[in-house]
Amino acid sequence: MSKEIVIEPATRLEGHGKIVIKLGKNNRVEEAHFGVVVTRFFEKFLEGRLMERVVRIAPRICGICPEAHHLAAISAVEVAWDVTPPLPALKLRELLLQAKYISSHALHFYALAAPDFLLGPLAEPKYRNVVTVIKNLPDAGKKAIELMKIGQELCFLIGGRAIHPVTSIPGGQSKSMTEEERDEQLKRIDRALELTTFTVDLAKKVVTDYLDVITKLGVFDSYYVGLANEGTHTIFGKATVRVMSPDGKIVADFPKKDYLEYIAEHVAPYSYATHIFYKPAGYPDGIWRAGPLPRLNVVDKMETPLAQEALKEYRDAVGRPCNATLAYNWARIVELVEAVEKAKILLEDPDIVSTDVKLADVEPKQGNGVGIVEAPRGTLIHHYWSDDKGICTKANLIVATNHNIATVEKSILVTAKQVFEDKILEKLKLPKPMIKT
Amino acid sequence: MPVKVAMVSLASCWGCYQSLLDNHEALLDILPELDILFWHVVTDFKYKDLEGYKDGSIDVGIVEGVCRTEEDVHILKTLRKKCKTLISLGSCSTYGGIYGLLNLSTMDEALKRKFTEAESLEEPSIPDEDVPKMLDFLIPNRKIVNFEIFLPGCPVTSQNIKDALVGLLKGELPPPPNRTLCDECPREKSEVITIKQLKRDYEGIPDPKKCLLEQGYICMGPATREGCGALCTKAGMPCRGCYGPGPNVIDQGAKMISALGSIVDYEAISPEELVEKVGDVAGTFYNFFLPSGIVSKTVRKAK
Amino acid sequence: MSASSAMLRRFVYTAQNWCSYAGADMAGTSRMQYPPNARFIRVMCSSRVDPQFVLKAFELGADGVLIAGCHHGDCHYVTGNYRAEERIRLLEKLIEQLGIEPERLRLEWISASEGNVLVEVMNDFVKKLKELGPSPLRKDKE
Repeated sequence: MSKEIVIEPATRLEGHGKIVIKLGKNNRVEEAHFGVVVTRFFEKFLEGRLMERVVRIAPRICGICPEAHHLAAISAVEVAWDVTPPLPALKLRELLLQAKYISSHALHFYALAAPDFLLGPLAEPKYRNVVTVIKNLPDAGKKAIELMKIGQELCFLIGGRAIHPVTSIPGGQSKSMTEEERDEQLKRIDRALELTTFTVDLAKKVVTDYLDVITKLGVFDSYYVGLANEGTHTIFGKATVRVMSPDGKIVADFPKKDYLEYIAEHVAPYSYATHIFYKPAGYPDGIWRAGPLPRLNVVDKMETPLAQEALKEYRDAVGRPCNATLAYNWARIVELVEAVEKAKILLEDPDIVSTDVKLADVEPKQGNGVGIVEAPRGTLIHHYWSDDKGICTKANLIVATNHNIATVEKSILVTAKQVFEDKILEKLKLPKPMIKT
Repeated sequence: MPVKVAMVSLASCWGCYQSLLDNHEALLDILPELDILFWHVVTDFKYKDLEGYKDGSIDVGIVEGVCRTEEDVHILKTLRKKCKTLISLGSCSTYGGIYGLLNLSTMDEALKRKFTEAESLEEPSIPDEDVPKMLDFLIPNRKIVNFEIFLPGCPVTSQNIKDALVGLLKGELPPPPNRTLCDECPREKSEVITIKQLKRDYEGIPDPKKCLLEQGYICMGPATREGCGALCTKAGMPCRGCYGPGPNVIDQGAKMISALGSIVDYEAISPEELVEKVGDVAGTFYNFFLPSGIVSKTVRKAK
Repeated sequence: MSASSAMLRRFVYTAQNWCSYAGADMAGTSRMQYPPNARFIRVMCSSRVDPQFVLKAFELGADGVLIAGCHHGDCHYVTGNYRAEERIRLLEKLIEQLGIEPERLRLEWISASEGNVLVEVMNDFVKKLKELGPSPLRKDKE
């Protein structure tokens, strides 16, 4: 007697996913599929576009992390054309991405993840959303909005627009930051640190309340991927791509341009988004995860002091490598701390208000370039081929969440087994929900 | 009495909804007025919930994104049935948007590139099991269902969205912006503009005060509707036309081609040089508008 | 559809008033034979030909669009024909990107006294269009 559970659409994620779980006799989980039901074919329609316009088209891959795409794109173009922008431009670009981490990680924590924890998994679906959180915890709601605003407005300042930035151009940035703007941002970043501390405290409470759930539900091994700068956590700039095996060994640490030797895509017939895997391990053994939790697995340490303290606390509790899916939310908060600290360091750097942000002489070149940055949700790879007129002839893209399709599917399989076969919901230590509906 | 709202995303990037969120504290005033019955990134309602609501029982429906698959068409039609007022949010829904550039290729060419030729593929294979069928080409949503309100933009600015929502809640919508971007842009413009030299966006360093088009950078301003606050030109970059055509224009790209013809100095820039410098004509002039163009897609058969 | 009408290639000929329309007049009064496939549209200047018109003509099913203007230096409005040329070159590239053969769009300079040139051009254009076949946008194409 076979039963099919269809969850459509997968909610509280950006993208279009459909979950299908097939149950057999005695509720045995026979199959779990995570199908992504649409794709837009950037790999095709970027062909024929002027490369500097590709940098402005690519952000439309995602409206929550367009800065990451803008920066991966400009990095790839500048490699293809062999252009090195002035250092202040690179610092502005990194600051743009850190600003995005501030608003995106806050958005994810408060709007996408928190409802599950603050209301509890047994709450009615119609209440499990950020609107309920804001209604019942208005102070937290206000602080969340304030923190996201600081991130988005810094994005706006550097990128020209908070959503779909435009200022990165081959050779540098189209605008610089004034001293007045920098001074205002420094004031705000201090406020952001206060708001982050509040978020850290809330996260700690949630993690403590849910530690049993976090360490038991949806726990499974996989490979992990993320950028590192000689072992230190980094999201932009000089870095290599690190891969960690399920047992915690760094099995690869390669230059960005060599990604094709280590990363491959498997097409699942029921998903327009492919399954990414670690090529040397083959499919499906090599499926991996990207994003905050994997990043904290592959790096040795964080870049900034408070974040390093937060990392230590995190690792003391969940270990390294951490394979507990729900710990992603905690890892995200560790990264939020670093984003705020690093943003402050960049704002205090006198280069950030330099007016030398763009080369006047830039020429296109025939060639190809790989640009890799860490988007909030994972390792983002843009690879473009340019002709001698600077027109894109080919594009290959592996976007952040693409890395996680196969492992999201695995986490569903694992969790479904726990729920239907092991009846884990009866055994987990669930706290009293912070918000009662 | 909270207003019943359902918000869907077809093939989209969620930038327009992010723009709604970027109203920040103003959200604290708007959200309590809304009874959100579907919004897949923020709430847990499923398609079966949406399909289960009584026809016409939802006050306001919002559509972001464009119909890429047959399932998108179904969701769009379902929402139209359930809602009294339907808002087209953003240029994807209103014009077809940036994904419309794929209309320059056939679907076969697109599937081939992504699923059989991409450099990182393990093995060529096109998904065909339990995935919705791709439409051959993109068309603007208004050709599938009627809308009461259109908010163009990529994304629509937070201010535009707030003004529209607050206006709706009050029962009095603000008047639509009815001039071109050039009217909004603060850069200095000469009485008569003549372009003597064309530049790619990365060439040279533009004068931050003067009109970009005059300096030779191809700016879609003259053919684009105002409403965004001239964000790109203020940031030093030419307008790409994301708000779509100004009033009384049927085809934004054709209009910009017409405008360029008027202001390019023939002695300084020959027609051949103009074409050479523009490089990608369709992409330059139809960046957000191609599915709404008079000729809206390639008529070439797959290569 | 009978064989002869199937062979008919239709095109839109926009002739600007001062030179090329007069040239067409001249061809007519001189009893020169020119192909019947053209749909004449008179405009005051070739720069009046809005690119939207050209695209609309193709969208409605024209196999070709022929735009005739004055020779360089002869424009009644001084610079109109130059503007037309800049636009038409861009349009040629655009329609090529859209999968329409750019030869289907043509710009010619024809003066009031060049009725014979007009006839030659039209014959040549029809010949070319017959080679290319029906426009891919024609809904009734075989």
